[in-house]
Amino acid sequence: MYWDSRELDLLTSQLTVDFTKCTGCRICELACTAKHEGKFQPSLARLKIIKYDDLGVDIPNVCGPCETAPCVDVCPVYAMRRNPVSKMTYVDQDKCILCKSCVGACVNGVIQLDTERMRIIKCDHCGGDPECAKVCPTGAIIYGPSHVSEIVDRHGKVASYLKEIRRLAEAQESGGES
Amino acid sequence: MKYGGYTGRILRARLDEGDFKTEKLPEDWIRDYIGGDGFAARLLYEEVPGRIDALSPDNKLLIATGPITGTLWPMSGRTVFVSKAALTGIWGESHVGGFLGPELKYAGYDMLVVEGASEKPVYVSIEDDDVQLVDASDLWGMKTNEVSAAITKRHNDPDVQVAAIGPSGEKKVRFSAVMVNSARAAGRTGMGAVLGSKNVKAIAIRGHGAVEVYDHEGFTKLAKDAHKRVGENPQAQEMGKWGTWILTAVKQEIGELPTYNHRTGVFSGWEKLAGDYIRPRYTISDRACFGCSLGCKKVNYVREGPFAGTLEEGPEYEGLMAFGSLLGIDDYPTALKANQICNRYGMDIISAGATIGFAMEAFENGIIDEKDTDGLRLDWGDSETTIRLLEMIAEREGFGDLLAEGSAKAAQRIGKGAEKYAIHVKGMEVSGQDGRTHRSIGLGHATGARGADHLRSLVVVDQLGYEDVASERWGKDKLPEIVDPYTEKYKATAVFETENTYCIRDTLIVCWYSVSWPPIFWIHDFAKMLPLATGVKEFGSVDNLMKIAERQVNLKRLFNAREGISRKDDTLPDRFTKEPMPEGPGKGQVVNLEPMLDDYYRLRGWDLETGLPTQKTIKRFGLEWTSAHS
Repeated sequence: MYWDSRELDLLTSQLTVDFTKCTGCRICELACTAKHEGKFQPSLARLKIIKYDDLGVDIPNVCGPCETAPCVDVCPVYAMRRNPVSKMTYVDQDKCILCKSCVGACVNGVIQLDTERMRIIKCDHCGGDPECAKVCPTGAIIYGPSHVSEIVDRHGKVASYLKEIRRLAEAQESGGES
Repeated sequence: MKYGGYTGRILRARLDEGDFKTEKLPEDWIRDYIGGDGFAARLLYEEVPGRIDALSPDNKLLIATGPITGTLWPMSGRTVFVSKAALTGIWGESHVGGFLGPELKYAGYDMLVVEGASEKPVYVSIEDDDVQLVDASDLWGMKTNEVSAAITKRHNDPDVQVAAIGPSGEKKVRFSAVMVNSARAAGRTGMGAVLGSKNVKAIAIRGHGAVEVYDHEGFTKLAKDAHKRVGENPQAQEMGKWGTWILTAVKQEIGELPTYNHRTGVFSGWEKLAGDYIRPRYTISDRACFGCSLGCKKVNYVREGPFAGTLEEGPEYEGLMAFGSLLGIDDYPTALKANQICNRYGMDIISAGATIGFAMEAFENGIIDEKDTDGLRLDWGDSETTIRLLEMIAEREGFGDLLAEGSAKAAQRIGKGAEKYAIHVKGMEVSGQDGRTHRSIGLGHATGARGADHLRSLVVVDQLGYEDVASERWGKDKLPEIVDPYTEKYKATAVFETENTYCIRDTLIVCWYSVSWPPIFWIHDFAKMLPLATGVKEFGSVDNLMKIAERQVNLKRLFNAREGISRKDDTLPDRFTKEPMPEGPGKGQVVNLEPMLDDYYRLRGWDLETGLPTQKTIKRFGLEWTSAHS
């Protein structure tokens, strides 16, 4: 329908993560640095897989989607700014004083200081065609207009396991199942 | 470094001196050995003298990576542990997935050598150039998952990669494992015991550097295409869904699901050990190792029954077999529980299950009784006793202390004909295959450098009848015999070529699952990729890669020859050569090993009488230097 497609055009694209699909393979980190650094160096990846070996859970942390942008708000010299159309935040390297405020403020932990070349590095969605989404073998990271309803709750996967384990522990304590 | 992919450095943790040393990677090793297994074989042969005790400070433990470890190439996150084996006293190697190897590369090292022995418990801590031996008294006694958690916490860094031993490694259980990421095991041949004998509880690695290949654009494009091939390969997609559990049904169908200590290849309770039974009931998430788009690891949770609350990754087919059909147990939660114990205590699940299988059969035949077993009745299918006995082995408690020596040594000590029930080759327990219904694995088990091995030369093409692949690889003229699992003819050809390709796989290092069922990648793919990764043009020739592989096989053979191995040791248990398969599609089959051995030795250039490389062969592969280290 005419209205639907027009509405879609107005929505900004975002990286969206389905935590239940991530296998923790870190191919996204490799492809990210292959593109941005010209080498394989996950420590400089613009996104980060956090692995929970004890629970068997892996969670990708990517830039966005953020309603408000703490990294922009916290920057003391207005070097971190937000594109009003794409809503993507970016660093003006000329103005950046390397204070690392944005590094601490990022709720996803994906802004970093590259201590070798002394610069703040962050995701730029590869200019609208992100590598991480392209290489993800399971579709855990997708790029497109964000639909909040499709975003799986960040802690949902962990929480459901913990709930089940707690339920069992309680059942055992009360002398039910052994 | 002149070549791409390598860091060009070897790190030595010198436990006697209590310090570290960094050395340059010898450049001539690259052309002759590529990396991984090859580098490790080169170093171990030269530096570990013959006939030493594997658990003495003279032994060394190596962690090796290959030129593409830490890159985007599919399934290239694997690492190899190499040492003189605690289980067998011969060549020992054990490959593991997870994330350890790439981290070692990012820290700036192609290899880590752990040598000497520490007086007090320590762990080896590597963070880029900051290398330390850290006191581990407070970690001693911990299970592997606890060690990993404690070290991660201490370093305050979720990305530190930990390889740890558990109580079994400390107590030098002969088949103890080194565990990576809590649930990935460098299991076989007893690497855990070697680390334990050196008082090393763990190796913690964190690297912030990069791996740079020779032609970044070309390599990256090829790697992305390779991932696409994984994504489009139907077998790979099935593997991603079911893991190796997919094998249970296949093996049952062809009558090769080892059951009752390899007595038969047919198990009535197989359905409860099959992927389509397990996944919907127990699997809660899919996981992958570093850089793998296949993702065969399954995390499972038991909701009810005696093992309720068990949350653990795995086990794979081999674990299902070892604590399922092999012991007559048709219960997945038992296998998961056993896997958890093996992971946490740090033990090889294959040898652990096979050793218990040995004890059960010896018990059944009255060679041992309750007086020997601390009152345990060892009956097939008894999961409670199995789990109890496994814990006793892990702690070397009572009867478990004897079984912790492995089935071969335990049988020797028991005597009274118990040897008949120890199903091993050269001291290593036979994995989940059977030469009677798959002749080429009979030859593979008999000739494998580390003993009864399914990972060095397992030919799948003949077993599952992939005629097109077979004719392309070995020539149309060898059909149909070469794909007939019940004949010895041409099996040496298949084993020879497959073993060579797997050797290259193990130098890169990539996962076994990228070259199996019919392979996603084979040696010509590696020949295309390696020059882009390294800049060594000669790696672009399949003939040259085959020569490098043969050099490696010969070097390992010479290592074993130094320990006294010869043709007389390339045997199979009588079970496979004298006891006909009692039922199933392969009913009545036995392995006739000798003609296959002759063929294999001829192809390898080994003396038919001794089974050892001839002088001509040694010269052909430039291995004359080995004679100076006998």
